[in-house]
Amino acid sequence: SSGINAEWPLRPGRMAVETRSVALPVRKVVIHPVVLFNIVDNYERRHDNNKRVIGTLLGRYDKGVVIVTESFAVPHQETEEEVSMDMEYAMRIGELQKKVNTNMYTVGWYSSGIVINEYSSLIHAFYKCQCPTPVHLTIDTVMKEQKMKINTHITLPIGVKNGTEGCIFTPVQYSIHGAEAEQVSLKFFQQLRGTKKTPNFNDQENIITSCDEMISQINVVMGHVKKVLSGEVPADKELGRQIMEVVQAVPNLDSDTITNMLNSHMQDLLAVEYLTYLTRQQLAVSARLNQIL
Amino acid sequence: MATSTSATLFDSIQCVEITSQVIMKITRHCHHELEKQLDPHVNGVLLGLINENKHVLEVTHCFPLMNSDTDEGMEINREYMLEMERSLRQVNIDYQQVGFYQSTYLNTHCDRNFLDSVFDYLEEMNEAIALIYDPLKTKMGNLSVRAFKLSLAAFQLYKEEKDFTAVMLREKSLTYENLFKEIPVVVKNSTLTNVLLCELDKVQDNTSFFTLPTSSYLEKSMQLLLGGLDETNQDLQKINMHQRAVYKQQNQIFKYVQERKEENAGREKNGLKPLPEEDVTKLFKAPPPVGRLESLLSANRIASHCEMIEDHVKSGIGKLYLADSFMS
Repeated sequence: SSGINAEWPLRPGRMAVETRSVALPVRKVVIHPVVLFNIVDNYERRHDNNKRVIGTLLGRYDKGVVIVTESFAVPHQETEEEVSMDMEYAMRIGELQKKVNTNMYTVGWYSSGIVINEYSSLIHAFYKCQCPTPVHLTIDTVMKEQKMKINTHITLPIGVKNGTEGCIFTPVQYSIHGAEAEQVSLKFFQQLRGTKKTPNFNDQENIITSCDEMISQINVVMGHVKKVLSGEVPADKELGRQIMEVVQAVPNLDSDTITNMLNSHMQDLLAVEYLTYLTRQQLAVSARLNQIL
Repeated sequence: MATSTSATLFDSIQCVEITSQVIMKITRHCHHELEKQLDPHVNGVLLGLINENKHVLEVTHCFPLMNSDTDEGMEINREYMLEMERSLRQVNIDYQQVGFYQSTYLNTHCDRNFLDSVFDYLEEMNEAIALIYDPLKTKMGNLSVRAFKLSLAAFQLYKEEKDFTAVMLREKSLTYENLFKEIPVVVKNSTLTNVLLCELDKVQDNTSFFTLPTSSYLEKSMQLLLGGLDETNQDLQKINMHQRAVYKQQNQIFKYVQERKEENAGREKNGLKPLPEEDVTKLFKAPPPVGRLESLLSANRIASHCEMIEDHVKSGIGKLYLADSFMS
């Protein structure tokens, strides 16, 4: 496997690899939760002599925002003296992923552990060939500060022209946000809390838990309003306006219309339920008949 | 010759354990494709390992496949799978295929293609499963991931014949209910993933379970139900025609035998040699029996649609009462 060697001529002040095109401005990075799960899994499965793992980030670029939607691991080795990564693997799997997932390009790379050293800049140079402004994501799986810190960086050129030039890793703002369904799955996983659980497709339990949550939230708001009324807490105009909005969100119709609407809706649902019950009975009867005849 | 699969081997898996990483990947893939069309046939391969002691199938990784309706699409997919298998070995990911995942649109996934795929995977590995992911239900707030495989009787029958007849079904006592077997799915995470989940606690979450039961969902389900019933009706008509054809043929055979006997009696009277009694079965070929596989599958679909509607209605009534209490 081909690799980058630390002894490769990398004169201070000159990138040994040409960048692909003009760097695009990157203001923000949106990370989908899938990517983080992938990285943690990759870290757990690493070879014993590797202290950190690296891989490619895939996604798309949208008006200054880089949206990272997937990732895959790249085999690499790192010792005190040298670092090597399988560039051919990265490019091959990158091409495959692009074929299968439409509208997904290489947007950067990740590594576990918060250390950014000269090896990082070498690997970053490789990724600069793949895309104009690669994003570097680090996630601290070792948890040096009792937390799994996530950082995103891009490189910006610094230095004096025609003198000492180089690149510096500057942090970029990031947010973790997924599609609606991904958020739903995430919510379910958070309910697990270290145990195993079957995903229940029974709506009723979920409604009950959401109801409880809503009741507690309403209690909090009511408590605040009572405090304001009794003078303990100074009134806040912004908060007041928002509470007004919430209260007025309930449509204000007269009770007759409401009862009519609800009743007709209820009747539709009950009629449909009866029909499905009938259908199921028919199916059961036919299944038994098939056995007999 | 096909060796018989013992029942204990086939049904040795009692539970499927999935990591949250796999579910997130499946979710992402399905919704990526859902942005383009309403009913994308999204599928991919599941990788993992079998834990024989605990009778558990662990699914630890997955990767998506391209939509392959054409032959060359399937060829590309095959090369892609081989390539991925080789590459995943280098990064220590389990490379054994333990099944496939597929997205469904209002439970319409249960058709001939699905049956074929499940059968193919089961032939290679007796413990393979098919994971069905429902993107619409998940969007509405309920993570819906279910694991299915063919029941032992159905698998053995499908191995011998590609289409079932009523006689075969009776022998194996196979109905639409025990065509597919559902295996309970459990989501289990490693410790480090749990730490990640705690970190992500602060991620803003705007999902709500309180959307009122909309009529469009009900309408669509009812349409599908009616479609399923239409298919069953057509099957019924086919069976009726077949029965009529069998009856007609039996009448013809009877008439033919009678004529022969009368002729022979007549010839004996006149002293001529009697005509040979020909083998009736060679003259009259019985009409082929009607295939029952399609009707089983459509019965399965109808049952699942009914289940869906019932669930929807139950929660819908609850939500309506809630809305009532708010507005009055």
